[in-house]
Amino acid sequence: MKKRKNLIPWMQSMPALILIAVIILFPIFYTGYISLTNMNLYHWFDFEVIGLDNYKRALLKVDSGFLSALATTVVWTAVNMVLQVILAFFIALGLNTEGLKIGRIYKTLLMFPWAMPAYVSILLWKVGIYNTEFGLLNKILVSMGMEKVNFLSQNVPAFFSCMALNLWMALPFMIMTIDGALQSIDRSSYESAQLEGAGFWAKHLYITVPALRVVIAPAVIMTTFTTFKQFDIVYLLTMQKGSLSGASLQTIITYAHQNAFVSNNYGLSSAVSIIIFGFIILFSTWTNRGVKED
Amino acid sequence: MMKKMLCLMLSGIMAVTLLTGCGSGQGSKEEESVSKPQETGKEETADSEKEAVQTVTEPVEIKIWHDGDEAIMANIADTVNQALESKQISVSFEKKSGLTDQLQLYGNDAVNGPDMYFYAHDSLGTFVEMGILSPIKDLVDDSVFEGLLPMTVEAGTYKNTQYFMPVYFETLLFMYNKSLWEGAVPETTEELYAYMETHTDTTAGNYAVVNQHSTAYNVAPIINGFGGYIIDKDGNPGLDTKEMIEAVEYNKKFAALQADGDYNTVTTLFNEGKAAAIVGGPWLISGIKDAGIDLGIKSLADFKLPNGNGLAPFSGVQGVGVMKHAAEGKKDAISQVLVTLAGKEVGEILAISSNCAPANIEAYDNPAVADNEMIVAIKDTAQTAQPMPNIPEMSVMWGPAEGMLAAVNKSGEDVQTATQKYQQDALTAIEDMQ
Amino acid sequence: MKKIKKTIQLTVLHIFYIILCFLGLVPVLYAFSLSISESGGALSGGMSFFPEHPTFDNYYEIVVEEPFLLWFKNSMILSVGTMVLAISLAVTAAYAFSRYRYRGRRTVLNLLLLLNAFPQILSMFALFRLFKNIGLLNSRMGLIIIYAGSMCIFSIWNMKGYFDTIPVEIEEASKIDGANDFQMLYKIVMPLAMPAIIVTSVMVLIFVWNEYLFSTTFMLSEESYTLAGGLYQLQADDYSRSWPLFSAAAILVSLPILIIFFCIQKYMVSGLTAGGVKG
Repeated sequence: MKKRKNLIPWMQSMPALILIAVIILFPIFYTGYISLTNMNLYHWFDFEVIGLDNYKRALLKVDSGFLSALATTVVWTAVNMVLQVILAFFIALGLNTEGLKIGRIYKTLLMFPWAMPAYVSILLWKVGIYNTEFGLLNKILVSMGMEKVNFLSQNVPAFFSCMALNLWMALPFMIMTIDGALQSIDRSSYESAQLEGAGFWAKHLYITVPALRVVIAPAVIMTTFTTFKQFDIVYLLTMQKGSLSGASLQTIITYAHQNAFVSNNYGLSSAVSIIIFGFIILFSTWTNRGVKED
Repeated sequence: MMKKMLCLMLSGIMAVTLLTGCGSGQGSKEEESVSKPQETGKEETADSEKEAVQTVTEPVEIKIWHDGDEAIMANIADTVNQALESKQISVSFEKKSGLTDQLQLYGNDAVNGPDMYFYAHDSLGTFVEMGILSPIKDLVDDSVFEGLLPMTVEAGTYKNTQYFMPVYFETLLFMYNKSLWEGAVPETTEELYAYMETHTDTTAGNYAVVNQHSTAYNVAPIINGFGGYIIDKDGNPGLDTKEMIEAVEYNKKFAALQADGDYNTVTTLFNEGKAAAIVGGPWLISGIKDAGIDLGIKSLADFKLPNGNGLAPFSGVQGVGVMKHAAEGKKDAISQVLVTLAGKEVGEILAISSNCAPANIEAYDNPAVADNEMIVAIKDTAQTAQPMPNIPEMSVMWGPAEGMLAAVNKSGEDVQTATQKYQQDALTAIEDMQ
Repeated sequence: MKKIKKTIQLTVLHIFYIILCFLGLVPVLYAFSLSISESGGALSGGMSFFPEHPTFDNYYEIVVEEPFLLWFKNSMILSVGTMVLAISLAVTAAYAFSRYRYRGRRTVLNLLLLLNAFPQILSMFALFRLFKNIGLLNSRMGLIIIYAGSMCIFSIWNMKGYFDTIPVEIEEASKIDGANDFQMLYKIVMPLAMPAIIVTSVMVLIFVWNEYLFSTTFMLSEESYTLAGGLYQLQADDYSRSWPLFSAAAILVSLPILIIFFCIQKYMVSGLTAGGVKG
């Protein structure tokens, strides 16, 4: 009887787990397999297993360039996530104010950036906001009598430009998640807090934040990963083929792309992928310490 | 107890949903293949054709993937289809962005993949090494190649084997807006620079000449003119050679007066009358026409560098390669299509309607072609232009070369350091290919 | 007095959100102004947000000349299909992960999280090989399976977090009332978790709506592209890139999502507040 009881949750989750095994797990193993072969341009169809050779070569790529890319990625992830959660929290909180009747319209408008395909948004920003000739920012600067600025030609301004764009693209989801999570908080606990004379900050610090933490933790963790492996923004904004912006900002994924993938050497780039995956696992076990789950 | 039973049932339902999901997936696949009897039919006929030799009564369709201008491809398709109608052969062009990546996946896939591809010649080596292309000397008579400009034939040769049928070619040109350009167009690059200095106002956004100054292809005229090279025939990168350093240094002073140098920026500046001239190719023409600009054209070869050489752009040859499986399965149809593509009619049509310089020599006898200012300029430039290298190593050179140019022109990095650093990158990238 | 304070507070909030929406929409407004301008003279014009000769030609051109409606249909089928598959699998799985305590539960949950960290773009080649062998290339079902699989982990985690907040007592109370498990999940738990289910569904929907790499690689003909994929082909074409056209398409692609979002919001209020159950 006990055994059968233990089987039930497995049965319930099995269909989902099978799907995940096929779509997520299998490619990881396959990449692992390819990383042991010499599949490259010159052995496209007739590749064979050559052992750990690719890993030897891939590890040589873990040089200063890789480490600085890793550092950039960690800073990038941390800054983005902190800003995202804090900003989204206050925006969502305001939207839930009693009496704010057209909150629904605001919410919808705020979702617009999310409704656009990512590459469309990035191209729009690249041309419409940051471009030296047509970008809004430079038009404003010129109209105020200042020099044009190339926002993407140096690393530091490029970092902030990418960050602004990332926030723009990612905030809607975070706002929506927090907004949804706010619904799960029992209103009556506010009422009793109010009776005890708790102010705005006390109320939210002691009731809202702890209650939210559990609910939004998964979304925050997921977004952290997405931010960590962010590729499109940095790549399309600063290093798209044919329009390099000059900045040499690298995250680990762009670094891997530039150092392994353009060469069409699948064996080597698979080894690099697996190593990066290893780094991500390390990174996530490190961040996961903070998230307690019963 | 009840709870568990129902959970079981629920998960059972879910499992069934998943299974039927897969099942119906296969079902719809079958439906699709059934609903496309024509294509599968053709595949089979192609196969049986091989055995039964020369009983071409069934229609054959040749699928060609491209990543170019749809209007040009439509022109080619119409001409070829008309010419081969009586032989029951037809071609269909399908646009695929990121053609190189797509061919890596579909190159040997006779069912889903294309029979031929239409692209520039510089990726030829990559495809050949991957083992998806068939040599084409056996498919067409030698006389066909004799009717083509030798430069274009050479561009389609890799390791002494012809893999590529050239159709048209392009080079960069100096294109100027006649109503904005003051006086005569200079004869030397130094005079050009002097003109740019006096006619550029970056703050107001008015430019004399714009160029994609950090794109290797667009700087190649200077690099080649100085005697430098991005990569030599044996696959050695030349980013840190003396000639390259001189060229990059020389390009840098122009770049400072050429706005951001990104494709969108420079074309828009020119099309909107904010730049008097642009270094660009025939692919810009349709946009320029739409903008209603009175266009003047001059060959880059007519600008002399301080060392006396003319600017020497790359020439890019556009044409087709044949997939191995198609060369085996649809041999006759493929050779008919190849001959037609290399023929005079396709050349003339392309020249007249799309300003493309045909590879076919006879096409130039047509007065409409011979009088086309643009085509004449391209053909002149081609005398000194160098075909882009088509070895596989070239495909990893664009990155480092552009990185170097952007570092120098946009981030203000020192030329010496940048050239050395990116030469190293290039060497690593080439090493990584093996 | 209190009323005045409340009014002031609301006014400040309104001003804040109007400014916020405006700032957030600047790039979109820019795209819109581009999309209603004639080609040429579009980008370099002055500071004004509104073109001198507004025209809807670009929209017309897209809807009529590009296979826009076909792409729209494909996008709809794929995103709804994915949503149904992913959410139905994930709801049961998330419920199991949330409600039962058993060996291996935490391990599996954490493992899922780690798996999710693998950059999906790297899976393309492996999935291509797999799907080619089982004949799922160039089929909508194949894409739906890929998309659902990609979003499954996210959905499970996201909904599990919410399920955890629903007090077990509610279920136990209803069990006493004689509800069976099936009824319980669908009549009691799901309504309570509606906000989470909707947020997750919308996330899945938008993911599919905006995805272009897999859809252009796994589908072969132009007729079977999705909106995002088709638009990607439009913009990737350096030769005929037209900004006004592109921005018009961008706006058109985003609109359906916004409409769905607007309509769905009234369901985003949890049953908890209405249910009167005290946690």
